[in-house]
Amino acid sequence: MAEVAVRDDKMMEGPAEKGSGRAKRRAYWAPRFLPLWALIGGAAVIALIGAYPYYGGNEYILSLLGKFLCFAIFALSIDLIWGFTGILSLGQAVYFGIGAYFVALSLKINYALIHPTRYGGKFPDFMEWNGLTELPHFMTPLISTPFAVVCALLFPTLLAFLFGVITFKRHIYGVYCAVITLAESLILQDFIIEYQAYTGGFNGITDYSNYATPAFLWFILAVVVVFFVIARALTHSRVGTVLKSIRDNDVRAEFMGYNVANYRIFVFCVSAFMAAAAGALYAAWVGIVSFLDAGPVFSIEGVIWTAVGGRGTLIGPFIGAFLVKGAEFFLSGTLAQWWQIIVGSLFIFVVLVLRDGIVGSIANFLRARRKGAAFNQVVEEADQKAHDRQLDWSPAGVPADENVR
Amino acid sequence: MLQSIITQFFSGFSVVAILVIAALGLAIIFGVAGVINMAHGELIMVGAYTAAVVGKLGGNTFIAIPVAFVVVGLLGLIIERGIIQWIYDRPLETLLATWGVGILLQTIIKLIFGPELYYVGAPKIFEGGFRVIGRLPFPYYRMFLIVMAILLLLLVYYVIFRTNLGLKVRAVRRNRAISGCLGIDTARIDMTIFAFGCGLAGIAGAVLAPIKSVSTTMGFPYAVDSYMVLVLGGVGSLWGVLSGGALIGEAETILSFIFNNVIGRLLVFLFIVIIIRIVPRGIFGYNERR
Amino acid sequence: MSITRRRILKSTGGGLAGILASGVAPYHFVRNIAAAAEGDTIKVGILHSLSGTIAIIETSLHNAELLAIEEINAKGGVLGKKIEPVVEDPQSMVQVFAEKAKRLLLEQKVVAVLGCYTSASRQSVLPVFEEHNGVLLYPTLYEAQECSKNCFYTGAVPNQQLDDFVPWIINTLGRKKFYLIGANYIYPKETNREVKALLQKHGGTTVAEEYSPLGSTEFSTNINKIASSGCDIVFSDLVGDQIVAFYKQFKEFGITAKDIPICTPITTEQEIAAMGAENAVGHYTSFNYFQSVDTPQNKSFVERYKAKYGKDAVTNAVMEAAYFQTYFLAQAIAKVKSTDADALIYEGLPGQEFQAPQGKVKIDEKNHHTWLWARIGKANENGQFDVVWKSEDWIRPQPWVPYLYPNKTCDFTDKRVLDRLKKPWSAEKNRSATIDM
Repeated sequence: MAEVAVRDDKMMEGPAEKGSGRAKRRAYWAPRFLPLWALIGGAAVIALIGAYPYYGGNEYILSLLGKFLCFAIFALSIDLIWGFTGILSLGQAVYFGIGAYFVALSLKINYALIHPTRYGGKFPDFMEWNGLTELPHFMTPLISTPFAVVCALLFPTLLAFLFGVITFKRHIYGVYCAVITLAESLILQDFIIEYQAYTGGFNGITDYSNYATPAFLWFILAVVVVFFVIARALTHSRVGTVLKSIRDNDVRAEFMGYNVANYRIFVFCVSAFMAAAAGALYAAWVGIVSFLDAGPVFSIEGVIWTAVGGRGTLIGPFIGAFLVKGAEFFLSGTLAQWWQIIVGSLFIFVVLVLRDGIVGSIANFLRARRKGAAFNQVVEEADQKAHDRQLDWSPAGVPADENVR
Repeated sequence: MLQSIITQFFSGFSVVAILVIAALGLAIIFGVAGVINMAHGELIMVGAYTAAVVGKLGGNTFIAIPVAFVVVGLLGLIIERGIIQWIYDRPLETLLATWGVGILLQTIIKLIFGPELYYVGAPKIFEGGFRVIGRLPFPYYRMFLIVMAILLLLLVYYVIFRTNLGLKVRAVRRNRAISGCLGIDTARIDMTIFAFGCGLAGIAGAVLAPIKSVSTTMGFPYAVDSYMVLVLGGVGSLWGVLSGGALIGEAETILSFIFNNVIGRLLVFLFIVIIIRIVPRGIFGYNERR
Repeated sequence: MSITRRRILKSTGGGLAGILASGVAPYHFVRNIAAAAEGDTIKVGILHSLSGTIAIIETSLHNAELLAIEEINAKGGVLGKKIEPVVEDPQSMVQVFAEKAKRLLLEQKVVAVLGCYTSASRQSVLPVFEEHNGVLLYPTLYEAQECSKNCFYTGAVPNQQLDDFVPWIINTLGRKKFYLIGANYIYPKETNREVKALLQKHGGTTVAEEYSPLGSTEFSTNINKIASSGCDIVFSDLVGDQIVAFYKQFKEFGITAKDIPICTPITTEQEIAAMGAENAVGHYTSFNYFQSVDTPQNKSFVERYKAKYGKDAVTNAVMEAAYFQTYFLAQAIAKVKSTDADALIYEGLPGQEFQAPQGKVKIDEKNHHTWLWARIGKANENGQFDVVWKSEDWIRPQPWVPYLYPNKTCDFTDKRVLDRLKKPWSAEKNRSATIDM
């Protein structure tokens, strides 16, 4: 049989000839910005979540929803650097945590001005029982919450930039990068616990007013949508294609002339910005932040949500975060041990079997059905050899690490 | 004051020994197979629990060491055959998969043994210590740890550099494809190396159990420290393990004495990050500029 | 692109997938079904870590509460209904405590929660209880200076523990130079402040003060410093896993209890079982209760506990408080014949008495704390404590340490406090009964 690939009307089409009457088609490899089904599905989900305050009365579920949305943004930020660029960072929670702490500190300081502590001080209680007698000078600018929010977004981005310059310019990636980000995360955790006069230490920052209202939920939803659109725009542009090529084979991308380090730094900063925003929203919504939010365990949780949902896709992280966290919510209490077993097995399962996550696997399945058997055979052979892909849902997990011989 | 610093220096040796013992298993697995084993801490923990069981059955640490080696080595074999062998080409994912294995191990051990801490005693002959200098005696058991560390280093050196198996391992590490062509069963070598590394982790657990508390969460700090040792000292080199362990151990001990524990640790981390900036693959690692 | 049936199907398919993925809707249905099938039990929340660095001691609290609930149910329950324990495991993580507390109050709608061990965990859950008007019974000794409307403290406050312990160390043991070492959070820091004030009052000195992060297990540096500092007693506020590692390494470095004893208000039989009795011999702990206390209630309590949890199980002071606070709750519900939080807080719980294994105990009518007995124990080779001192009578709790805060007190019957508490939470977020005298 001579025909190998099934020719789909959408693929392999050349440019429109002059005067053919057909409108100029986009290049065959560039998919639509947002397929119709995704638009409808997304709108449905947003409506479902946004309308929850009206049809559901459970306050606890409402608080969970807001939290899960923040986690979803966090997972999206991880997906940007891991699923699309191949950088595995085990310290993404650092940016989340810094964003959260800035906002939490500001809210707490403002709260303490109105509600004095048990000893009568007008500044946060954790500062008081650590022996401080008044608000430290360098923290007074945090009284202005908008300023705190700006800091919460800028600081982590700058930190990410610094980190990127140190590591990516020295061509440290893959395994070493993962371990160093892990170390970074642990350092921050230790730092937060040690300097508890300024950060609340082990207690964390608690007992400041939280904003778990429907209006804030809509605000978070709006932020989610905005970030999704930004991510989509980023990954479906030229830049996105370069990022994916870096993920697939960074040596080749370098030889093609792209400054791989700069691209990595760029996407790392964008993802840190997103994570910081997620942290800021989280601090305001939940009302308690602690060192756990900046630690490696939380970072790895984010990675697992992305992996379960489907890295390399954009809704994958959302679905992963909601599913995993939702399942944890169901299986709590005395079933907690079984939950841990499920989580552990989930890690292994996702790595061994469900390599592209739920969304990725669904997408593979749909694509396989759409394209036909012969095409799929070609696809599998190509898969096994070189992992070169030019479609949207490419299976990720190609090692960008030169350590593997 | 000087006495205290000297005493501290000596107890720093024991901290170095602890780091070396803990990191050795990981060095082998990471250095040879390129596998990031996030379950290393939990393997040490299983070794410690094995020692606890041996202790309950009437044995002591000397018996616990080979038992732990075998038990955890077998466990490593199962992990390798079941999970790792499919993902050698995806190192970042071995990270995730082994993290999951670690969680599973923790939970299973907790289900079997309960969440309480376990008591593992040091052998009676190691009670007490000898006076080096100053008021505090240097505990015999910590001396034993130093001796143990040296012995293990020599053992690994012998296995890797003086046996046939070691020859094959080195060949596979240099060039997997050609070694396969020359008739070396690379899958078997991987299996053996992984199991050996895990066995070493088991020994580490059995040996470290008497001085720390045995609980299901004891493993993570060891894993972190082991990674720091490897990242600093360099992967795939025994000198790397030794130098990394020595630097981190002594630095942490002395800095902890001058400041306090946490600041000591923080400074050591920062120190590592700076060194990595200069020597990205670690001091004795394979360094190249790309 | 044309509107085809296929497209519409895919779109709705995508939408449905979205709905399913968000997990909200199916949960909502499930919850409504579940809510219908309740009402014939009294739900009580149990919020103790069953995993993590504090699990070593918190599991015993959880076990004691379950034992108490079992006994109460065996006698017919409360108001004709059985008590149903709802267990949540916060895994020794402060943030998860707040999360689970919210879940217990809002989702499971429990009547009250028996929970927490570390002060960090209590401080993180209290805002939740105050905002949603729940009831927390807290069985652990703590640093005081607090009295929240929604919390009942059945553990010792400093005047029931430290006030006698420190002078006893100075006078009876003859040790004056204290080395303070503790975990790095609020309880040890506040406690050390109190200890230092007591030292000033009774003529002791503080040689040094050190803090170590929770969960750390390497103490050789600290022990080295202790040995070279010239102190003659170590006052330890280490918590959880730290205790085991510290005592073990202390002995390993050859320091005996005769040279430098470790005196602590925290180490219980539980931690001694984990470290091995020989590592604790000769060191002192101050508590309201020890397993070796010689009362008939205690003998039968220990028997029942061992019968349920194994003959190697040990009892300790904090779980004894967890045990009798469950009885307090049951008695309170029976007294006011309702499970309403305000009824329990204002009428049910204050004044409750119980013949506990340590002796008779009572919740003070005014300040939500408990009248307790004080004892000092010396650890022996069997992992138990020999009681070397006992207070003559039960001691009234003083939530504000008088030598540090002589002009503050805690009084829920005071009119100023009641006016404050009657205001809605959103307007007046202060649920504390602290007033200046």
